[in-house]
Amino acid sequence: MPPVSRGFRRRASAEADTSRIPPGQYRTTDFPVLSAGPTPRTPLDRWSLAIDGAVDAAREWSWQEFLALPQETVTVDIHCVTKWSKLDTTWTGVAVDTLLDGVDTSAEFVTAWCDGGYTTNVPLEDLAGGRAWVVHEFAGEPLSPEHGGPARLLVPHLYFWKSAKWLRGLSLTIEDEPGFWETYGYHNYGDPWREQRYWGD
Amino acid sequence: MAGAAVLGRLTRLSWRVATVRDLVTETPRARTIVLDVDGWPGHRAGQHVDLRLTAEDGYQAQRSYSIASAPEEDVVRLTVELVEDGEVSPYLAGDLAVGDAFEIRGPIGGYFTWSAEDGGPLFLVAGGSGLAPLMSMLRHRAARGAAVRAHVLVSARSAEDLLYRDELETLEPREGLRIARTYTRESPPGWTGWSGRVDAAMLADVSPGPQARCFVCGPTAFVEHVNDLLVAGGHDARSIRAERFGPTGG
Amino acid sequence: MDAQHIDGNGVAGLLGEIAGLLGEIGGAEMTTVVRTCHSCGERRMIGEHRAYRGAGIVLRCATCDDVAVVIGVQEQRLVVEWRGTYTVGR
Repeated sequence: MPPVSRGFRRRASAEADTSRIPPGQYRTTDFPVLSAGPTPRTPLDRWSLAIDGAVDAAREWSWQEFLALPQETVTVDIHCVTKWSKLDTTWTGVAVDTLLDGVDTSAEFVTAWCDGGYTTNVPLEDLAGGRAWVVHEFAGEPLSPEHGGPARLLVPHLYFWKSAKWLRGLSLTIEDEPGFWETYGYHNYGDPWREQRYWGD
Repeated sequence: MAGAAVLGRLTRLSWRVATVRDLVTETPRARTIVLDVDGWPGHRAGQHVDLRLTAEDGYQAQRSYSIASAPEEDVVRLTVELVEDGEVSPYLAGDLAVGDAFEIRGPIGGYFTWSAEDGGPLFLVAGGSGLAPLMSMLRHRAARGAAVRAHVLVSARSAEDLLYRDELETLEPREGLRIARTYTRESPPGWTGWSGRVDAAMLADVSPGPQARCFVCGPTAFVEHVNDLLVAGGHDARSIRAERFGPTGG
Repeated sequence: MDAQHIDGNGVAGLLGEIAGLLGEIGGAEMTTVVRTCHSCGERRMIGEHRAYRGAGIVLRCATCDDVAVVIGVQEQRLVVEWRGTYTVGR
């Protein structure tokens, strides 16, 4: 039994509205930067966003074409598996529904793939129905590279490792294909409200 | 480089109880915790420990801290600087009292270490709290009465924020030791020395030469910046050892 | 220059725990273990590798940035992948 450090306690959750904080999380007001590797620096004139995989026809947008799509600004809470939650974050971007509009597919899963090689997997239905965006602005400013700029996926109802930074494409897949962290013990789905952090949770 | 670290041996690490023997205020934001550690195996200058706190409900938090004491001492000294919005540093830099206990694991880090028999000349470059492991090296050098030439460049926000300020002044006049400072936010009244971020000119002025063994420690951005400047200034990349504290600086 | 990584020193305690779990020799200090990168062939100490914190921890070759070690961190288990060849003194 380790010695108790007199007077030490976990971070206080000075939060009246705890209904917004999932189990095991604490609220932060800063914005920690986490990543699996160095920050990619893709110039905008070489950037593209693709929808590919098990679709009738792959589609791709250049940066200008992406910005010309219908844009939305949303304010959401985000929850990281490392236990911090950040409330009322504001993002601007394109709804994944817009990107998928008219796409013909029998796929049920999506692999998000990114500059730097990161991947993560999400059921297709979790990216649809107004629950996900590809965003390029945070708090009214262009998304910084350390936070995933030029553009990242935003799926706030799942743990934030699913909101892949430096997004370059969404590949629709027939089979569910675990992404990077999902391969190393992190939960395949990742619902913060059911505290699905790891395999078997 | 000559005398490169002995090929890594897997040496035993386990959690040990550490009891606070004394607390020393270093700056308005930092203090040194002086510890008695059960069964401490000793350490090399530059190494660090993992520290683990356990709350009454069993909740645990863990952080790493450099050992600031010389290997010759019978205590382990850790210098903790208050991190805004931190979970552990407000406790260690504030509530912790003499007689309190927690656990430490170590010593860790065979790569970022120096012993007097490794020789020199030494060039130690510190950003903020990165001075702690380099202070262990300076204290070791003093304890051994080593003739090794050691030049130090330390960057601090202000004179008030400079760790070990008085001790650095008492060490300084000794043969073969030179300590230079730069203040990035506020210089003391009448200061004629450097201010602002470490740059190529400062490094060139303080370096004992391209043959020096360089140790650089501080926030990651600081370390990367200094490392690039040292290499551009003619130091062999393989003779530079770095310890990065991450974006918030330890 | 990316300022977000720390280095293999910073996560050494965790790597020691892993080596201990794997080798049943208790915790082990690993920062001077030399790794030969499977990608670029360079030999570097673990302490020189760049460590990134995401959901878990990724250690990358200091020369070519390719992945060296991945650690999925949980309260009750660690999930670890080692890439490359490791040379350890006895």
